[in-house]
Amino acid sequence: MARRLTDEIEAVALGPGATEAAPALGGHGARTVHASDDRQFEDHPGAPAAHVVARLLEEHRPNLVLFSTSYASRDVAGRLQALTGSTLMANASAVLGPDHARGEILGGTKIVEVELRGPDPKLVSVRPKAIAAEPSGGTATVAPVRVDLPDELRRLRVVERHQEEAAGPKLEGAKVVIAGGRGLQDPANFAMLDDLARAIGDAAVGASRAAVDAGWVPYSYQIGQTGKTVKPEVYIGVGISGALQHAVGMKQAKRIIAINKDPDAPIFGLADIGVVGDLFEVVPALTEEIRRRKGS
Amino acid sequence: MNVIVLAKYVPNPQGVPELGPDHLLVRSGVEGALDPGDEYGLEAGLRIIEAQGGEVVVVSMGPEEAMAAIQRALAMGAHGGILITDDVLRGADALVTARVLAATIRRRPFDLVIASVESTDGYTGTVPMTVAELLGVPSATFARKLDVAEGLVRIERQTEGGYDVLESPLPALVTVTTAVAEPRYPTLKGIMQAKQKPVERLTASDLGLSRDQLASSQGVVDVHDAPPKDRGEALEAGPEAVARIADLLAEARVI
Amino acid sequence: MLVAALAVSVGVFARRTRLLAALVRMGRPVARTDHVATRVRNEAVIVLAQRKLFQRLAPGLMHAFIFWGFLVLFPTIVHAMGALIDPDFALPVIGGTRWFALVVDVFATLVAVGVGLAFFIRKLVRPKRFEGSHLREADFILLAILGIVATLLLWNADRIALGLNEAPAAWSPVANLLSGLFGRGSEATERALVWAHVLIILGFLTYIPHSKHLHIVTAAINVFFGKTGPRGRLEPLRIDLEAPEEEIRFGAATVSDLTWKEVVDLYSCTECGRCQDACPASFTGKALSPKLLIMDLRDHLFEEGPNVLSARAGGEDHESPPLVPTAVTDEVVWDCVTCGACVRECPVSIEHIDHIVDLRRNLVMAESRFPQEAGALLRNLESSSNPWGQPQAQRAAWADGLEVRVLEPGESAPEYLFWVGCAASFDDRARNGARALVRLLNSAGIDFAILGPRELCTGDPARRMGHEYLFQTLAEQNVETLDGAGVRKIVASCPHCFNTLANEYPDYGGRFEVVHHTELLARLVRDGRLAPPRVDGRSVTYHDPCYLGRHNGIYDEPRSLVPSSVEMPRHGERSFCCGAGGARMWMEERVGRQIADVRVEEAADTGADTLAVACPYCMIMLDDGTKSVGKDLDVKDVAQLMAESLE
Repeated sequence: MARRLTDEIEAVALGPGATEAAPALGGHGARTVHASDDRQFEDHPGAPAAHVVARLLEEHRPNLVLFSTSYASRDVAGRLQALTGSTLMANASAVLGPDHARGEILGGTKIVEVELRGPDPKLVSVRPKAIAAEPSGGTATVAPVRVDLPDELRRLRVVERHQEEAAGPKLEGAKVVIAGGRGLQDPANFAMLDDLARAIGDAAVGASRAAVDAGWVPYSYQIGQTGKTVKPEVYIGVGISGALQHAVGMKQAKRIIAINKDPDAPIFGLADIGVVGDLFEVVPALTEEIRRRKGS
Repeated sequence: MNVIVLAKYVPNPQGVPELGPDHLLVRSGVEGALDPGDEYGLEAGLRIIEAQGGEVVVVSMGPEEAMAAIQRALAMGAHGGILITDDVLRGADALVTARVLAATIRRRPFDLVIASVESTDGYTGTVPMTVAELLGVPSATFARKLDVAEGLVRIERQTEGGYDVLESPLPALVTVTTAVAEPRYPTLKGIMQAKQKPVERLTASDLGLSRDQLASSQGVVDVHDAPPKDRGEALEAGPEAVARIADLLAEARVI
Repeated sequence: MLVAALAVSVGVFARRTRLLAALVRMGRPVARTDHVATRVRNEAVIVLAQRKLFQRLAPGLMHAFIFWGFLVLFPTIVHAMGALIDPDFALPVIGGTRWFALVVDVFATLVAVGVGLAFFIRKLVRPKRFEGSHLREADFILLAILGIVATLLLWNADRIALGLNEAPAAWSPVANLLSGLFGRGSEATERALVWAHVLIILGFLTYIPHSKHLHIVTAAINVFFGKTGPRGRLEPLRIDLEAPEEEIRFGAATVSDLTWKEVVDLYSCTECGRCQDACPASFTGKALSPKLLIMDLRDHLFEEGPNVLSARAGGEDHESPPLVPTAVTDEVVWDCVTCGACVRECPVSIEHIDHIVDLRRNLVMAESRFPQEAGALLRNLESSSNPWGQPQAQRAAWADGLEVRVLEPGESAPEYLFWVGCAASFDDRARNGARALVRLLNSAGIDFAILGPRELCTGDPARRMGHEYLFQTLAEQNVETLDGAGVRKIVASCPHCFNTLANEYPDYGGRFEVVHHTELLARLVRDGRLAPPRVDGRSVTYHDPCYLGRHNGIYDEPRSLVPSSVEMPRHGERSFCCGAGGARMWMEERVGRQIADVRVEEAADTGADTLAVACPYCMIMLDDGTKSVGKDLDVKDVAQLMAESLE
């Protein structure tokens, strides 16, 4: 998207793996990639990256800075707001000019045209859905970034890192919730959902009340009016009819996917994507596809 | 310990949000409530001071109706509240909001500031970070567990494959997810006692911010209806469906 | 010596009675002096005629013999005491008459037969309902009763042998028979027997107020002051948040918060266990037993009550331990589905539900102590005015495509306001019932409308959960809306809504003529405005909803809409709950079997293929139950079945 506005695009990559990413960034239009593989960006999330970026902005004076909506980007963008005195235009779907952006609000029902009036550089974070990544076929020069962090930026530090294989993230905090219901037919089939969760990563497995009542999974899995309420980025209901008691526990998910062999299941009324068919086909195929995409 | 909890008054999450003629979300005269997400932060804060002593003060910026959010927080157990309300702040953008909140917080001693990860009506999620930068304190986000011991705050931060443990000396700012603590339901006694608790009211001029600092650097110039979304795609099971689901996961930045 | 014995026993009796009375006076006020005529009638039917006890024949006879016996034999106590002083003492008027002699003889024997029957039941049959009761105490009491009538009969027998009988011996056949034991009679034995008789009576007198046998005095009182209106109505507890905190009563926190009626309830329990037998929670293995609940509260009252009284007498403050969990556990309080089976069974009119709700009111409003999952219910009611947190703007979405008028503010009221209820508005299965009802109402040409988004939850789940304040808020708002719209008649398709609108809203200024949809449909059929229902190709069994049946006495109208339905063993007044009442629709059953599963099995056992319901909660619970136990039962509202037969 930046390419539509100008030819002068510079990217910033900070943290281990930054220089590795440079060619990819160059391949999508960045002329220069300011990179540093310094571990400190990983060990002290947030403030160091923000201050380094702020310094780069001072030095190079761009008109516009674009961010993705990843957690790390948000943290940096948030601090940059204070450092640059310019408000972030968040979740933009398009940038139409140096001071004009467009976004969606109210659950995507309204489109807003926003005027960016602050001092340069303007800050905009872009919703991933908005733009498809188009390769430009170019290459980038890598400009190493001088990292010189005062102590006070390093007060927050990572002390432990944990991989949770089996347990997975708690239902409440997970980005993706996969819920299984009576349609799974057998408790052993929850393993299929565990697989899918592992393939995705930040995903947790839950269940409908029917599955819990049947004794297939413990009560801690239950999503619904007498169970947990989840608000993940993505909810995938597998073999769940989606009656009201369950729906109240998941209807606030940002995106809802349903897989069920019954075309009249109420859950299809809530779903953004509804797949009518055999979950025993769809779920393993989906797990495969995700592994494939992640692998590449 | 002095804990500050940032709270937002949001129009009824179940109601139909409306935009006024100035393209701003109508917040006045609409029945709203304490942002449910903020209750989690408040609960986390209350548990900390119940264990270690101290006070929780809830800070909110909004129209006069936002007092309802503060009362709810007081009913749950917060010790006092601060409401910043001023016509000049109507339509304030994230940066101005952060400036106001930071200026408010700076007026008193604080050890920990807690906010929710994002508000249910805005979900930009940037205000807390900006506040942290303005206050000059370290900040950590997405805490699913929050503890304070020996002058340090320790959090578990949700990651893709598990979690990281982060530590920071106080004072610090932390944003929390809904996994952090199940919010208590206020008792009627709590609701009644809330009315006796101290609430400070501030205007923009009380905070000593200049006109420039209060001017939003963003403005909505137009609003129109989005093309009606298909009420969801209906697909037959098969490779196309699988691909479409994977696409959606990618769009959501989940894979 | 008689005087001395009398003095001792009366003294002990009086002292205890003073304590009992003081504890009652300690109780909070409650209004139970209305409808005197009904109260008197209840006394006659329940106490004198022993109607509730006769629900089980053998125990009924057993108790009736003993009870009537005691009433009739009362004058013989006076006679015996008189005879202690003067062996020739005779009662005025009735003394010495033949018929009285016969009556005494027959009834004394009946009492003895009753005691024998009681022992037979308790020792040989051993019904489950006695589990947890103090059986030894009961044995002692029965033996004492036997002792009283045995000594009476033997004394009369010896007097006959001595020739001291006032009436001809033939008029006391049993005593006459027994007189053979005494040969020519013995004066010493005669004196001994009359002394024994009087002493046992006096001993019994002192024992009564210290035991569960207190019920012989308090049961009649308790029945008199029982509720006279529909069972489903809970007494309101007005909460004014502006009032000073000390003045507000949030329910029953400690023993001094109990109402005087609740105290008398506790005095009256005989530990018979009929309530325990009928309770769905007990039946499915939960911690709650209504009998044990009352017994535990009673024991706590006697332990802690005197402490409160003595502290007050000394002008001191006293902090009593909390009823929950000291007397009763949290689990027990929340297990209750408020189905009313216990209240229905109780022969002494104990109102268990009032106790439970009073305990819940304190737990919820003063302590926020309730099963965590129920918090969602309260939050949703607060934020969205319906228990599922659905957007009120979509409350009329179920009616899309149907001919249904939504009453807008300012429009004139229809003849009937169809109160849809939250379940039928938002749950897919319950919606079908509402849609069917609409088709029937339209085909009968009824003028009706719905409130749509202006219809808030009636507040029933909040009230049953104990959150009176939230209920009050919803009730006041709904009454305002209904009054503002000029509504006079309401038809409700949910028995919970129906119960609250009809019986509880009047306490909040809302007086409407409220009918349940089955009542209206039955009336329309009677008036010929709807074709008589047929149920073709289905064998149906009808499940009586608790809030329609037991709580409001409506059994026949719904049945008339499903002709030739086959009855489950537990039907009508004895219907077995679906498990959703008492706000338990929003709570998990974590122990034992699911109540709905048990009911579904009972329905399936009748051989029916269709389970007809008249309540959306029952529909949801029982439909879930069919899936859970794997029975192929079609769960449908009677309106749906009727609409089917129209097509």
